[in-house]
Amino acid sequence: MSIVLARIDNRLIHGQVLESWVPYVHADCILVANDAVAGNPLRKILMTAAVPKGLGVFVETLADAAKLLAGGLLIDRKVLLLLATSDDALTLYRLGVLFGKLNLGNLHGGENRRRVSCTIAFAPEDLANLGQLEAAGVRVVAQCIPADRERDWKKLSPPPER
Amino acid sequence: MLPLGIRLRILLRLPLLQASWNYERMQSLGVLYILYPALRFIYRDGDLVLACQRHLQYFNTHPFMAGPILGTTLALEEERSLHTEGTLDVDEFKAMIMAPFAAMGDAFFWGGLRPLSAALALLVAAAGCWWAPLAFLLFFNLPHGWALIAGLCGGYRHGSGMIARVQRYRLPDLAVRCKEVTALLLGALSAVLVADALRAAEAAPAWGPCALLLVPLLGGLARLGVSNLILILLMAATLLVFLG
Amino acid sequence: MVWSLDYLYAGLVSLLVGLDRTAVLQLLISRPIVAAPLTGWVLGDFYLGLQAGTLLELLWLGRLPVGAAIPPDDTQIAVGGTALALAMGAGAEAEADGLPMLLLCLLVALPLGKCGQIFDRLARQGNGRLLIRAEQELARRRPAAATRWHLLGLGFFALASLGTYLGIILPGSLLLPWLAPYLLAKVGDAAPWLALAFPLVGTAVFLGALRNRRILVLYLLAFLVVYFLREGL
Repeated sequence: MSIVLARIDNRLIHGQVLESWVPYVHADCILVANDAVAGNPLRKILMTAAVPKGLGVFVETLADAAKLLAGGLLIDRKVLLLLATSDDALTLYRLGVLFGKLNLGNLHGGENRRRVSCTIAFAPEDLANLGQLEAAGVRVVAQCIPADRERDWKKLSPPPER
Repeated sequence: MLPLGIRLRILLRLPLLQASWNYERMQSLGVLYILYPALRFIYRDGDLVLACQRHLQYFNTHPFMAGPILGTTLALEEERSLHTEGTLDVDEFKAMIMAPFAAMGDAFFWGGLRPLSAALALLVAAAGCWWAPLAFLLFFNLPHGWALIAGLCGGYRHGSGMIARVQRYRLPDLAVRCKEVTALLLGALSAVLVADALRAAEAAPAWGPCALLLVPLLGGLARLGVSNLILILLMAATLLVFLG
Repeated sequence: MVWSLDYLYAGLVSLLVGLDRTAVLQLLISRPIVAAPLTGWVLGDFYLGLQAGTLLELLWLGRLPVGAAIPPDDTQIAVGGTALALAMGAGAEAEADGLPMLLLCLLVALPLGKCGQIFDRLARQGNGRLLIRAEQELARRRPAAATRWHLLGLGFFALASLGTYLGIILPGSLLLPWLAPYLLAKVGDAAPWLALAFPLVGTAVFLGALRNRRILVLYLLAFLVVYFLREGL
């Protein structure tokens, strides 16, 4: 297997991924690892309908995604791995999917989340999860689209308080 | 059934979806603004406030795909108020459809149709026709207007059946075709511009294909992270030093 | 500093097309191919504007306004660049000096336009407050008042457009009279090549970002076929 990009993006498959990242990293296959979407047939259909022919797409639960990546099916594919939360990223890493670098795309605001950049808002558990991944040797960087600068996740500064 | 007046007001409000786009919840306030005339018709007092709060949840999609999405939202909202609710909850529907439809809209309208319209207009302009900007607007806005108007009406009429109808257009594949045609048009445009420039400089036409080497070179530099701004300024500086 | 009432009229155009960028309709009158000729038409020289538009259109065509990513403000560069060029006398009466002056003005406007992304971000942050206000109105059970805050966002986006326009026009109109005597002759010699560089850089970046071999082959084929049809073998 070769994961050309592992990305946390709460929107999973959307324009930034399909229009910017897929051509940039030359991915030929998208793997969405998310329990909720994989368990909901309508969401699964919607998600795959946004992808053009010729680009492979798999929507799997975390456990199945780990199995799929460990098996031989994707052996010579360039996989773009999409995760919705830092929790999922840590779980998948512990299931043996050892990505070397983790891209933070969109983690939008919500209850008790603190915004640290335009597109990223951390909850306390995000900090803990990402810290563990980093300790395990994963480089965690924030970069919304390829044209943006790559920034270390710890150096993200909160915007001015209002 | 919503009265025609209310449906018209919603259609007129639809183009203002992104007027208060923000990083917290993106288009959510826009959605509330658009749906408000209908919500006020369907709900009263406390129920109205609750409905408004529901629609102030995080929402973001492609602005043109908001037509079909909000059309279906209206239909589902009406079902809900009549307690004939089917299997699909309004809020759940909006939450799950926004990202896939955004991806389709981004791919087709921004990634496919916009460059295609631009390449077409530039060729028209290169041929010396003054109406190139009008051609651009017309070519882009026919599908745009269709998505908003037919999308809103179709979404309202067919409810969740709208999803299958939109999927039938195969927008992601259509976008790929658009890009291929754009590449052809840009090739023709480059050839015309290079030929004209060489003729103006009285250089041998055999130099023309050499300009082709520049394209992968510049594209490669751009991929290495050199911004367009730096590229064009670098090119300008080089030309000024050698020719100026 | 060259000052003229035309800057005011161009400012109105900048407001109109600036709102089209994100806030209203998105008919794409904000694209350079429309915004620049519109500015030119309002100021009395449609064709100079059309030329500016065709030079700028391809540069950032591949940057999509997807999600929270803000592309460079080519709209205000088109409006500001055209207005500067006309104020500097690049119109029809300039004859051979028209194109070099236009190119010089665009080259000055391009880096100045970087401020557009900052203003755009500020507008979107300002809109965040409108959302808070709307929530407060809902908490007070005043839904109609909540929806009215939405329209105030138009004001923030309009201010961002004007800010970017002024960020190009003010330094530009100070710099250009000072730069032009040194650079205009130099630009004049390189003008046809510079005018070619704009669309070629735009095309290269656009195709480069797609990273698709099939697309590149189609481009090369179309180029060669059209080129040899025009020039003969």
